[in-house]
Amino acid sequence: MSTITATSNISTPNTLSQAEAVPWLVWANVIASISIATGLYWDISWHETIGRDSFWTPAHLLIQFGAVLGAFGSAWVIMRTTFGGDTHALIKDDRRNSVNVLGFRAPLGAFIAAWGGGAMLTSAPFDNWWHEAYGLDVKIISPPHMLLALGIAGIMWGGAILAASYLNRADGEQRVKLQRIVMLLGGFIVIQTMTLKLEYTNRVLLHSSISYMVMGIGTLLLLEGLARVAGHRWARTIMTGIYSAFVLILMWVLPLFPAQPKLGPVYQDITHMVPLPFPLLLVVPAFFLDLLLPIFKDAPKWQQAVFGGVAFLAILIAVQWPFATFLMSSMARNRFFSTTDFPYFALPTSPTVRHVFVHWEQTPLEFWRNMGLGFLFSVISMWAGIYWGGWLKKVRR
Amino acid sequence: MALSTRFLFLVVLLLPLTGTAHVNSPDVYYDGYAGPYHLLVTLQPPAVVPGVAQVQIRSVTNDVSEIKILPLRMIGVGAKMAPLPDPAKRSANDPQLFTGSLWIMVRGSWKVQIQVTGQKGIAQLDVPLPAVSTSSQPMHAGLGILLSVLGLALAAGWIGIIVAATRDAALNAGERPAPAQTRRGRIGLALGTVIVITAFILGNQWWGSEASANDRLNYRLPNMKPSLAAGSLLRLHLENPNEAEPTRFRTEQPDRIRLDDLIPDHGHLMHLFIVRMPDMKAFWHLHPDQTQPGDFAVNLPIMPEGQYKLYADIVHHTGFPETQVATVNLPAVTGERLSGDDAGSFDMAPADKVAPLSDGYRMIWQRDDLFSKDLSSKDRPFKANQPYWFRFRIEDKDGKPVTDLEPYMGMAAHAVFLSTDGNTFAHVHPAGSVSMAAVNLAEGRSTKAGMESMEHTPSSAEISFPYGFPKPGDYRIFVQVKRAGKIETGEFVAKAE
Repeated sequence: MSTITATSNISTPNTLSQAEAVPWLVWANVIASISIATGLYWDISWHETIGRDSFWTPAHLLIQFGAVLGAFGSAWVIMRTTFGGDTHALIKDDRRNSVNVLGFRAPLGAFIAAWGGGAMLTSAPFDNWWHEAYGLDVKIISPPHMLLALGIAGIMWGGAILAASYLNRADGEQRVKLQRIVMLLGGFIVIQTMTLKLEYTNRVLLHSSISYMVMGIGTLLLLEGLARVAGHRWARTIMTGIYSAFVLILMWVLPLFPAQPKLGPVYQDITHMVPLPFPLLLVVPAFFLDLLLPIFKDAPKWQQAVFGGVAFLAILIAVQWPFATFLMSSMARNRFFSTTDFPYFALPTSPTVRHVFVHWEQTPLEFWRNMGLGFLFSVISMWAGIYWGGWLKKVRR
Repeated sequence: MALSTRFLFLVVLLLPLTGTAHVNSPDVYYDGYAGPYHLLVTLQPPAVVPGVAQVQIRSVTNDVSEIKILPLRMIGVGAKMAPLPDPAKRSANDPQLFTGSLWIMVRGSWKVQIQVTGQKGIAQLDVPLPAVSTSSQPMHAGLGILLSVLGLALAAGWIGIIVAATRDAALNAGERPAPAQTRRGRIGLALGTVIVITAFILGNQWWGSEASANDRLNYRLPNMKPSLAAGSLLRLHLENPNEAEPTRFRTEQPDRIRLDDLIPDHGHLMHLFIVRMPDMKAFWHLHPDQTQPGDFAVNLPIMPEGQYKLYADIVHHTGFPETQVATVNLPAVTGERLSGDDAGSFDMAPADKVAPLSDGYRMIWQRDDLFSKDLSSKDRPFKANQPYWFRFRIEDKDGKPVTDLEPYMGMAAHAVFLSTDGNTFAHVHPAGSVSMAAVNLAEGRSTKAGMESMEHTPSSAEISFPYGFPKPGDYRIFVQVKRAGKIETGEFVAKAE
C-alpha cells in the first residue's frame, strides 16, 4: 500500500522517490479534512435552518465519515507498520521511517490523525450525554464540542504533519505536489479554527475588540507554521484564500436548496438553507505578510514575531472594520454578501436582524484592554508559529 | 456530534427564564375539541429544556384519520410562525390513540397545535404547555467508565505522541535516537504529562462551571412569605426565584418571569388553596386581592389552630402558570364569613366513594375510567403517570341526579389533587390541568375578555376531570361544585402505585 521507496542503505538520509505518488494516507487525511469541514459548515447551516437533527443527517454523516476515514486509515498504517513483519520491503521501509508511540510504530502524522479520530469518536457519547443532562447544545464552545474540535484538529494536523514529513524528504515535482497538499490542509485548518471562533466573529461584534482578540489567538501559529514548512512564496495568501473560497462557495450554493424549520420557536420566514456569514478578510493581511516578511527573513525571530503579529492584526482591523460597516449597510443586503438570511431562531428585535452592532465591551478601558490583548496574542502566535514552522521543517518521519 | 450555532449573543437574547405549573405535577392533561373531534390530550414536558416533550392524543370517536402536531410559543412572533408539523403515530393496537414527540427549545410558555383530519374535515386544537428545566441528569456508571477509559487512552496517546515528536520525528531513516534526543523525549514526556494534567484540571473546572450555570437555570419553586395581620388578614408576599439574570447587552427579555404582569384566571389574579396538615380535613379555596405587585391579602374565614399548607396559583401575561407555596402555623382564627367565590370547610370527611354535601346531598366518585384499558377493576390503585378521567356525580338526598348545578367561576367544577405529604399539588378543571387563562391565550382569545368566553355550564349532574398522578403515593381529591347558589366541596382518598 505504501508508496515510499524501499531503501536498504541505513546511512542514506530518508528520501522520497520522485516516481512515487503521494502516500495514500495523506490523501485519506485530505479527503477526511474536506469532508469534516464541509460537514461542519453544513451542520451549522442545518441548525440555523431546519434545527432538528439526528445521527443520520448528511452533515453528520460527512463529519463521521471524516472521523472514521482518518482514524481507521491511520490505525491500519499503525498496525501494518508495527506488526507487518520484515518480509515486505515497503513495510520495512515504513518502519525505518516511523516513530515509536507506546510501543507502536508509524509516521508521527498517522498517530496524530488516529488520536484525532479517537477523540472525535469519544466526543460522540460525551456530547450525547451532555444534551440529555443539560439540553440540546445551544452553543459551539462546550466541553464535548471542544473534544470534538481537538479531534478534528488531530485529523487535519495529522494529515499536515504526515504530508510535511514526506515533503521534507521530497524534491522536484513530488515536492511541489506535497507543498500544495500542505497548503490545502492548511486552508482547511484555517476553516476549522474560524468555525470554532464564529460565536465571537459574527457581524454584529466586528466593532468590538473581542472579535479581533479572538482572531489574534492562534491564527498566525498555524499560518506561519504551515507557510514555513510549505516554503511557498504565497503560502499564507493561498491558505486564507482557500478559507475564503470555501466559505464563499458554500455561502452562495447552500441557499439554492429549499428548506423549512422543524423546530420552534420560529422567528424568521425560512424558505431555503441559511448560509453562514461572509468570510473574514484574513486573506488581506496574509497577502501583506507574504509580501513583506521576506524583507525580515534575516532579522532576529523576536523582531519577525513583533512585526508579523502587529502587522497581521493591524491590517486585518484596517480592512475588516470598515468592511463590517459596509456589511451592515443596505448596499450589502443581497445574495452576494448574504446579510439578509437569518437563523429561524433570530428574534426580529435581535441586533443581527436589525443590522446593528452590539458593543461587547462596556467601557473604553475594556475595549482597549481587549485590543491590547489581541495584539499581544497575535505577536505570541507569530512567535510560536516561527518555532512551530522551524520544527515542522525538521520532521522526517 | 451535533454542533449548534446559537451565537452567544443570540443565546442571551433568545433564552428567557421561566417557570412551571402546579407543584411536582408537570404533565398536562387536557380534554378538548378540535372542531367536531373530541380529544383527550396528555403532554409530558421535558425534564431538561431544550428537550423532547411527549404527546399522547386519544380521539374519543373513531372518525379521525390523521393527526399532526407542532410547537408554538404562546405569545409574540413565535406564536404566529410555525415549524413544519410532525405526524403523530397511530397506535397499532388502539386506532384511536396517537403519539408523537416535539422538541421544546426554550423555557417558558408554549402551546402544542394539534391538526386533525377526519371524516368531518380538518380542525385544530391548541393546548398550553409550560416548559422548564427541572433537573440535570447524572451520568450512568457504565458511560462514566467508558468515557474514563477512552479519556485515559487519549491522555496516554497524547503523551506518547509528544514524546515521539520530540525524540524520533526528526531522525533519518533507520536512525536510532541519540542520547540528546532521548533526553528531549524525556522533556517531552514531562511536558506532555503537564499539558494533560492541566487540561484535565481546567476541563473539570469548566465542566463544573457549566453544570452550575445549568443548575441556576433549573426552575425553583417559589416560596411566598405569609403573615397574619389585624386578626384574620392574611398577607402574602410573593417570591420570584426564577427572575432572569441581566443579559450582557441588557436586552429586555419579553418572557422573563415578573410579578407585575399577572392576568386573571377565571376572574381572579390568585387562587389560594389552604389545607390543614396532616389530617387534610380542612380545606379552603380563597381569592386574595393584589395590594401591590407581588403582594396579596385576604381575610381568612373561621379556622382552627394548626399547621396549614398554602398553594397560590397565579398566571403570568405569557400564560405561564406558577404555584407559590408556603407552610404556616396559624392560631385559631376568628375570621369572616365566606362570601363570593370563596369556599371551604374545616370539618371535611374524606371518602372513598361517597362524600356528603350539605342538605343531605352527596357527591359520588364513579371510579371507572375512560383513558386506561389496564385498569379493569375499580378497586385497584391507580397507576402513576397514567391519564385517567375522574368522574363524579351529584345526587340529592333521594339519590336522584341533581338538575341545579351552576358554573363556579365560569367552570362546571374545580378539583385539587394533593398528595398526603403536601408535596404534589394540581388545580384541575373539567377541561384539564392547564390554567383557563392560558387556554384563552392559546386559542387567541383575550385574557381580559372575562369569563363569558369560557363559561362552562354543567350540562348534567356529572362532572369529570382528566388527570394522572405524577408519582406513587396517597392522595386527596377535593372537588368543588356550585349548586343552588352554594359552593360545595367533596373530599376523596386515592392511591397511586
